[in-house]
Amino acid sequence: MTGVRYAAPACPVPLADNERVQLGHGSGGKMSAALLRDRFLPHLGNPILQELGDGAVVSLGGAEIVVSTDTFVVSPLEFPGGNIGALAVHGTLNDVAMMGATPAYLTAGFVLEEGLSLDLLDRVIRTMADAARQAGVPLITGDTKVVERGKADGLYINTTGFGLLDPGFRPGPRRAESGDVILLSAPIGRHGMAIMAVREGLAFETSIVSDTANLAPLVNCLREAAGDAVAVLRDPTRGGLASALNEIAQASQVGMALEETALPVPGDVAAACEMLGLDPLYVANEGVLVAIVRPDRAEVALAAMRAHPLGAEAAAIGRVVATNPGYVVLKTVVGGTRIVDLLPGDQLPRIC
Amino acid sequence: MKYLSEYRDGAVAQGLITRIRQTATRPWTLMEVCGGQTHTIVRQGLDELLGGAIEMIHGPGCPVCVTPLEQIDKALALAARPDVIFTSFGDMLRVPGSECDLLQVRARGGNIRVVYSPLDALELAIRTPDKQVVFFAVGFETTAPANAMAVWRARELGVSNFSVLVSHVTVPPAMTAILDSPDNRVQGFLAAGHVCSVMGWTEYEPIAERYHVPIVVTGFEPLDILEGMLLAVRQLEEGRHEVENQYVRSVRREGTPPAQDLIHKIFRLSDRQWRGIGSIPLSGLTLREEYADFDAEIRFGLETLSVQEPAECRAGDVLRGNLKPRQCPAFGTRCTPEHPLGAPMVSSEGACAAYYNYARFRSPTAHEG
Amino acid sequence: MCLGIPGRILDTRDDRGLLMGTVDFGGVKREVCLAYVANEVVPGDYVVVHVGFAITRVDESEARRTFEALKEMSQLEELDWIGEVADQALAAPPSAEAP
Repeated sequence: MTGVRYAAPACPVPLADNERVQLGHGSGGKMSAALLRDRFLPHLGNPILQELGDGAVVSLGGAEIVVSTDTFVVSPLEFPGGNIGALAVHGTLNDVAMMGATPAYLTAGFVLEEGLSLDLLDRVIRTMADAARQAGVPLITGDTKVVERGKADGLYINTTGFGLLDPGFRPGPRRAESGDVILLSAPIGRHGMAIMAVREGLAFETSIVSDTANLAPLVNCLREAAGDAVAVLRDPTRGGLASALNEIAQASQVGMALEETALPVPGDVAAACEMLGLDPLYVANEGVLVAIVRPDRAEVALAAMRAHPLGAEAAAIGRVVATNPGYVVLKTVVGGTRIVDLLPGDQLPRIC
Repeated sequence: MKYLSEYRDGAVAQGLITRIRQTATRPWTLMEVCGGQTHTIVRQGLDELLGGAIEMIHGPGCPVCVTPLEQIDKALALAARPDVIFTSFGDMLRVPGSECDLLQVRARGGNIRVVYSPLDALELAIRTPDKQVVFFAVGFETTAPANAMAVWRARELGVSNFSVLVSHVTVPPAMTAILDSPDNRVQGFLAAGHVCSVMGWTEYEPIAERYHVPIVVTGFEPLDILEGMLLAVRQLEEGRHEVENQYVRSVRREGTPPAQDLIHKIFRLSDRQWRGIGSIPLSGLTLREEYADFDAEIRFGLETLSVQEPAECRAGDVLRGNLKPRQCPAFGTRCTPEHPLGAPMVSSEGACAAYYNYARFRSPTAHEG
Repeated sequence: MCLGIPGRILDTRDDRGLLMGTVDFGGVKREVCLAYVANEVVPGDYVVVHVGFAITRVDESEARRTFEALKEMSQLEELDWIGEVADQALAAPPSAEAP
């Protein structure tokens, strides 16, 4: 190839807009939000879907039921602290719980890749059975399909959860108000870094294990202690704490002010993030919840979480404010401020 | 973390900030060369806390940003080949080429992998003998020893399916290019601490002498940067122009000689295009003749590819320190991290990205709510 | 080019002629190439690691000194007013040197 090739014309629209799905669309950041907004909602939108909560609330024969569905595509299938099965059960139980409902039933759909080890499948199923049993939530129906070698990363699982809603307890992403206290149930970054530790090309040795857990019992504690003063509940999974808080700030049209010194990050997670140049605020969690609580009940809520094993290290990390609605602002360790924005796509390790 | 966390002490930082504001009797303009330093400054809100005492101009210290469009396009061409596994540091994946970026090539079926170390790429080549593994060897002098070692090992171990696409730049010529520029406003520099860990600081002494600018070799944590700024301001107040070392725990005047030796064995200096700045003589590293068989450009016939930049991206002005990202007419509107016009907006090191992500607006009242 | 973090060498070994070591970064461990610092490090030493390579040894006594000096420098903040008074007193003659 010789000669000069001219780049795209000097027109404000930059790179040829791609016509294909990219990994970034699944990251939980801006690209994911845009995909939903531009591709899914225009056709599928209805008042219930438009809420874009972790799940949907429906009325069925007089009862109010929460339904939530999630698909799990993690690779590798087994990682320190768990496997895809644990995520599939806990993840959906948590989504139901974050809506304020008590999870009652689960369904599961499996896509198996030809060639998947049956031993591995066995381990995954046993893990799911244990997790469901411990939660007291039976898996009542499901489906299994097999696809050709190369068409699935070993195994994909979809789970759907159903729970009964208590009318007096309806946390939701639009309910945050200026003055509310932002509580975090546990330190952040464990799940994402546990996965990173076993990713090819980036692997490192560590004792970080995924924090995957059923958070419904912790939500119960919060409900009993603070009831309706718990305005918002969210489990910060893909996209991390930063993405979850940004979504809430947008939905409620409020600002948020966080204290960097108050953010609990385990030492080994911090070290792994330093090594790869990653920010713990964007790393996925599977056993953490954010609770945004009215100021008069915040102390009580925090104490209730701390009394439970899953919330032993719970902390208040900031406040909801009226300034700069839609933005999450962090007061840094040295006293400066910075915006904690949604990333466009996945966070990437860096050398600089 | 030891030798890291203590350099983030908030109380000490506040004290240093006060010291800097007391020491400066007039506003001074400094440039930090390294993108990692830019990020700490903006990420911690240091520039805001300094009041008017210091204006920081963010220099071209991001190898991602200054990698010429040609090299990105060559990378894209290689990554699209079915016989190639293209390996790279994460930083490069979202940098726009003429038509797309590496992530989009991956979406179209290119085999692209992020690695932490060039040795990981070499190991991959050893494990997959039926594929060509190309490593995108980008960086300043800090990364050159690692990239050099990968090439040297490939020769030693006889790994024939491994090659590198080189895009290395060096710091001192960039600094002199900035200082030579007629609209230069930089009065002092914070030199890149890890570049100097490798190279030492002898190359900066003639620069300080000739241009009468203080150059302080500075680390990357908030306390390092603040101390570096304080030392630079003191020199300016006292009319001195020396090379001073703030990053004493990591940098010695002679640097790390064995690393320099291997760099010189594998690479030679060459003229290099800096994206947005243009050609700077003898500012780049290229593989020597003896190692040319590891040069991916030669192996895959890409030497003569050349391209032109889109006109609207003002990366050059930003990189030279003549434009703050917020002053660029496209900032935050036509040019955002999701739709970048140029590299400084996507690179995690880029000044534009730092501003967009961290300081799009300043809201000191956020914590009064 | 910049992301280098300090870690402690736990052990070293020869990998086909190259000196490699296990480095501990505050709880996370990784294989690091120690070839460039081979002549100056032993297990227990700290090194700065960039993309899997030790680029320099951390001078621990210098690190301690820096940090102590920084702390001291910042604590003088409380004595601001003394500094201001001194500066004013010294401001007049051009040949006066700052303390």
